[in-house]
This record gives sequence, structure tokens and C-alpha cells, in this order.
Amino acid sequence: MSDFLRSYLTVAIFGGVAVALVGVLLGLGSFLRPSRPTATKTMAYESGVDPVGDMWSQSNIRYYVFALMFVLFDVEAVFIFPWAMRLETYGYFGLVEMAIFIFILVLGLAYAWRKGMLKWV
Amino acid sequence: MEITSNWYLILSALLFSIGAIGLLIRRNPLVMFMCVELMLNAVNLSFVAFGDRLGDIAGQVSVFFVLVVAAAEVVVGLALVVAISRRRATTTADDLSVLRG
Amino acid sequence: MDFSAALPVADVVAFNRPAIDWHAASPELILLGFGALLTLVDVIFLDRAKQYTAALAGIGLLVTMVPILTLANDMSETGPRVMFDGAYVIDEFSLIMKAIFILSGYVVILLSTNYIAEGDYWESEYYGLMLSAILGMVVMASSRDLISIFVAFELLSIPSYMLATWKKRSLESNEAGLKYYLMGVFASAIMLYGMSLLFGASGETILTKVNASLSSDPLTGESLSSSTPVLTLAVIFVIVGFAFKVSAAPFHNWAPDTYSGAPIPVTAFLAVASKIAGFVALVQLVFVGFYARADVFQPLMWILAAASMIIGNLIALRQTDIVRLMAYSGVAQAGFILAPLAVAGDVGDQALASIVSYLAIYAAMNLGAFAVILAAARKTGSTSIESMNGLFSYAPGLAVAMTIFMFALAGIPPLGGWFAKFQIFFAVVEQGGTWAIILGVLLAVNSVIALYYYASVARRIWADQAPDGDLTPIRIPPSLGAALVLTVVATLVFGFLPGAVSQFTDVGLIAGG
Repeated sequence: MSDFLRSYLTVAIFGGVAVALVGVLLGLGSFLRPSRPTATKTMAYESGVDPVGDMWSQSNIRYYVFALMFVLFDVEAVFIFPWAMRLETYGYFGLVEMAIFIFILVLGLAYAWRKGMLKWV
Repeated sequence: MEITSNWYLILSALLFSIGAIGLLIRRNPLVMFMCVELMLNAVNLSFVAFGDRLGDIAGQVSVFFVLVVAAAEVVVGLALVVAISRRRATTTADDLSVLRG
Repeated sequence: MDFSAALPVADVVAFNRPAIDWHAASPELILLGFGALLTLVDVIFLDRAKQYTAALAGIGLLVTMVPILTLANDMSETGPRVMFDGAYVIDEFSLIMKAIFILSGYVVILLSTNYIAEGDYWESEYYGLMLSAILGMVVMASSRDLISIFVAFELLSIPSYMLATWKKRSLESNEAGLKYYLMGVFASAIMLYGMSLLFGASGETILTKVNASLSSDPLTGESLSSSTPVLTLAVIFVIVGFAFKVSAAPFHNWAPDTYSGAPIPVTAFLAVASKIAGFVALVQLVFVGFYARADVFQPLMWILAAASMIIGNLIALRQTDIVRLMAYSGVAQAGFILAPLAVAGDVGDQALASIVSYLAIYAAMNLGAFAVILAAARKTGSTSIESMNGLFSYAPGLAVAMTIFMFALAGIPPLGGWFAKFQIFFAVVEQGGTWAIILGVLLAVNSVIALYYYASVARRIWADQAPDGDLTPIRIPPSLGAALVLTVVATLVFGFLPGAVSQFTDVGLIAGG
């Protein structure tokens, strides 16, 4: 077995012990404790507040619009990181290039803002 | 046993096939988008693995472009699904059959 | 703390600022500028900007033609201009294609002006998206690098997905867009996987270097007599990705649904400009990137061409909707344009020249046919073939125009289409092999089948009665009229003076090929 796989053996053993420990403790608990369920006890725990709706509630479609905008602008940042790493070697040329790139991104953000996409209605 | 770039290429081929098959047989647009993402990320893995094998940075540079374009693409697709689901309750690709012939 | 030891900054090579030929890049920069300007105007003035956006987009396209003409004028002195180590090339082929994209984009904007303003559509964003799609096409015509081709492909596809769904509150339009989107992303994923294999097999992304490494083994330097499995798979995947874009059978299923669900000007845009962009990419890949591997791409192109012609024409015979008829006839014509690529390895010059002239003529006659469909639908509100009945009795001008376009599409001699079809036919037969002759026979047989359905549309226009005997004339707005005149003139000129076309389209092999 290579060193590479052997180092994963540690991970596997650790995982196995973790699963076994949790299983033993939970199993022991359910074996020892009395079981007398009531409606209040089986209710889902939502930080002390009474739960609203069931588990499979649909999330509001508004979340999607924000999620979409986040994904777009988040991913565009991937071009900025390598540029920032070597900012000095690129000089003014790189600065102007990035200014144009960010200008176009800001144009998109301004568009979303003017069209009311950033408002939570 | 050593993990060579071949392993990554096989994994990427598997991921790509799973994505392609999923796209062809699943009918929920959201699941279809996930399959597309799977295919595109298989491509990314393949680019990185080849780049590593060839010692060529172009493989990783390509991934940047694929990543960004895929994000833009998925955003457009999700926006389409949102637009459609505003008009009807369920969204499966089979329900979309106004156009045929 | 000193990080310089930990970070490999010290041994990074110095940055060499790439030399940018501003003149060569100006068409793209102008288009980008106008696209940004349109968005800016929309952001600042909101609804008040609506009435100016169409004009602004049209002006943008016309201004973009200026540097293309000056570049074409300089071409005889400077030769092809190469940027970024050969990733971006401006040669005769790319200039002709850019001109075709911009002019067909201009015609589509003329078609859109009244249609979009009078219907239930968002207006301001429409033209901005149109310009960015055209920018993608213009970039595509110069891209000679796998990554630039991919980025250009997506730049033209993503706005098209949105434009196909442009009709507000219409489930049909939404469905058209979602179908187009799903097929489009599937195609681009396949194409990308092919590109990654190609990169892995050749170690290059620039097409000329890819071609060099396809002909010889990268490790030993010996010339490869046959392809390796990875290379074969890579070439097939990349070509199949673009076969979706040009709606070649068996990858054509999205086209009829998307065409009939999308707004008519957008359909014209997808059927003409977007499709031509797919062919431009295929031509560049075949003639520059894969030219050494004719043993792989020629059989594939043969199958795609034959299947597209036969399937497209046979299904077109049964259509009752004129837009779906145009979609299937578009599939058949895709087969025609792919046919020379099946012999490109042997008769490269002729194959390229025939494809370029077919694309130019194809743009003119298809845009014209869609302009007439759009004008007729202004009165009838329908795109069924029956709605064309008796067009001559109430709109003789439109009837004559539609007849010209139908006969041009069918390839009847004095009109544009015959020259295009004959050039394709001769390029294929010139090669002389058994398979080429079979393809030539298929081309001839399919021209006859196509004649049947084109002629039956013309027969309805002239011979049948108008529905309900309603003879009120159609009011044609000036921009639509201008589009009709432009396309009729182009179709007639290409037909009567084929020398004028071949003078421009006889481009020789693509630079670097």
C-alpha cells in the first residue's frame, strides 16, 4: 500500500470510531430511557418558537432573484484574484483593463438597482 | 498504487456521463440544471488534470472561463424557470408541451 | 515577516504587455461601447429611453461597419492581422463574416422596431441583448483559439436564450426559450468536453498549433497516419456541439419548437445570424484546427450533411405552419452547407469559397422570407401556411417578394439561391470519390424535394383565395419596408451577378490554415 493510501487509512479509522461512538451512545440512550410521546414532545424544535408549516415548505421565489445576482457577481470575482496577485507587474495597463471590467459589472448592478431588483417587496 | 492524472480523467469521464444521462432522462428542469453543472464541472476537472499532466497553465486558465460562463448560463436558466413557475404550479419539462408538431 | 520565500513570486516571468492592434479590434470595441451605452441610457432614463433604443442600436451597427470597411481596404497591403499569438486573426474570411453578421443584425433590428414596440415585450433590454449577441458573433469570426471560440459561442448564445423567451406572459415563448436553453447548454457542455480532450491530446488551445500536433505525435514527432481514439472522440464531440447550434440532424429537435414559440424577429435572428455563427465556428475548426485529420471529420460531416438534408426536407413536406416550414427547410439547408465540409480535406479552396457564398446568400433570402412572414402576420395574426392564401390579391408587393425568396431558396436559376447551390454541388462533385458522388446525388434529389414545398407556398400566394375574402391591404411600416427592399435587392444581385459575390467570397484558405 502506498503512503498516499495509508494516510487515508487514518481518516477511515477515525470515521469508523466516530460512527461507532455515536451509534453506541444513541442506542444506549434509547434502550434505557422511557418512551411516552405526546403531541408537544414530537413537535419539531425551531428555537423555542412554534413551527410554521411542515418541513417541505417552498421558499419564496424572491430568494431566487437574490441568489441569482449573488452567484453572478460572486463568480466574476474569480478574475479579480489572479489580477490582484500580480497587480504591480501589470502596471497601468492592468489597472485600466480591470477598471473596464469592473465598470461593465457595475453597469449590470446599476441596471438591477434601477429596475427594482434589489428591493424586497 | 499512485494516483496519476489518469484517475482524475476517468473520474471526469464518469461525472460527464452521469450528467449527460441525467440530463436526458430526468424531467425536472432544476435537476436538469444540476446535471448540466455536473457536466461542466467534469470538463473543469478534465482541463485541470490535463493541465497538470502537461505542466501547462492553460488548463487552469480555461477553468476560470468555463466557471464564469457556466455561472452566467445557469443564472439565465434559473431565471427562465422562475419566469415559468410564476405562471404554473408545477415545472417539469414534460408539462411544457404547448409546442409540438 | 518575509513571505517572498513562501510565495513563488520571485521566479514569475515578467509581464509582457500584449500588443493590441486597435484598428483591428475596433469593430468589437465599438459594438461593446454601444452595448454599454444602451444599458446606460436605460439605467438613467428608464421608460423615456424606449423610443431611442432601436435607433441607437441601428446606428451602433452602422458605425461598426466603418472600421470593417477600412480594414478590408487595408487588407491588400497589410495582409491578415494576427493578435495574441494567433488566437485572434482578422483576415478576409473573418471580415466578410463580420459584415454578414452586422448587416443581418441590422435587418433584424429593422424587423423588430415596430414588432417589439407594438407587441407585449420589454423594449430597452431587447436591443442591448441583440447587440451583445452580435458582438459574440463578430468575435467568433476572428477567434482561432479554443477558449475564444467558447467564450464567443456563449456570448452569442446566452442573449439568444433570453430573446427566445421575450414575449411577456406567454407560456409558448417561455417554453421555446427553455427548450432552446436546455439543448444549448447540453451542446456547449459536449463541445467543452471535446475541447478539454483536444487540449489534453495536443497540449495547445490555439487552432494552428492544435492542427500541427494532430498531424504528428507530440512525444515522438513522428507523423500520425491515423487518428488516436482520444483525438477522434475530441473532434467528434466538438463538431457535435456545433451541430446543435446549426440545427443539423439528428440534433435539430429544438429548432422547430423554438422558432415557432419565439417572437418572429428573434426567430429570424436565430435562423440566420446565430446559425451562420455556428457555421463560422465549424469552418474555422475544420479548416484551421482539424485540417490534418480529414479522416475523422470528413465521414462525420458526410453523415450530418446527408441526414440533415433528408430529414429536414421530408419533415418540411408535412408542415402546416410557415415558421415551422422555414425551421425544417433551415435544417435541410444546414445539410447543404455541411456538404462541402465532407470533402474539405481534398478540395479545400473550393469548399471554403462555396460555403462562404452560400452563407451570404442564405442570410439575404432567409431574412427576406421572415420579413414577408412578419408583414403578413401583421394582418392575419397567424403564421399558418393557409394565412398566406391569396396574398397577391391584397398585397401584390409582398407576394412578389415572397415568390422571389421562395424560388431563391429553392434554387431556381436567375435568383440568388441557384448560384449558391451550384457552387456547393460542384465543390462536392469535384472531389470525385464514390462517397462524394453519392453526396452530390443526394444534393440534387433534395433540391427537387425542396422545390416542391417552396413552390406550394408560392402557389397559395398566387392561386388561392384570400381567407374570408378580406382584401384590406397591409400597412407596412417604413423600417419593415426598408428591410424588405434590402433583402430583395441582395437576393436579386446575388442571382444576376454571381461574379459580384464570388469576387468577395473567393477568400482562399483561411489565414493560418
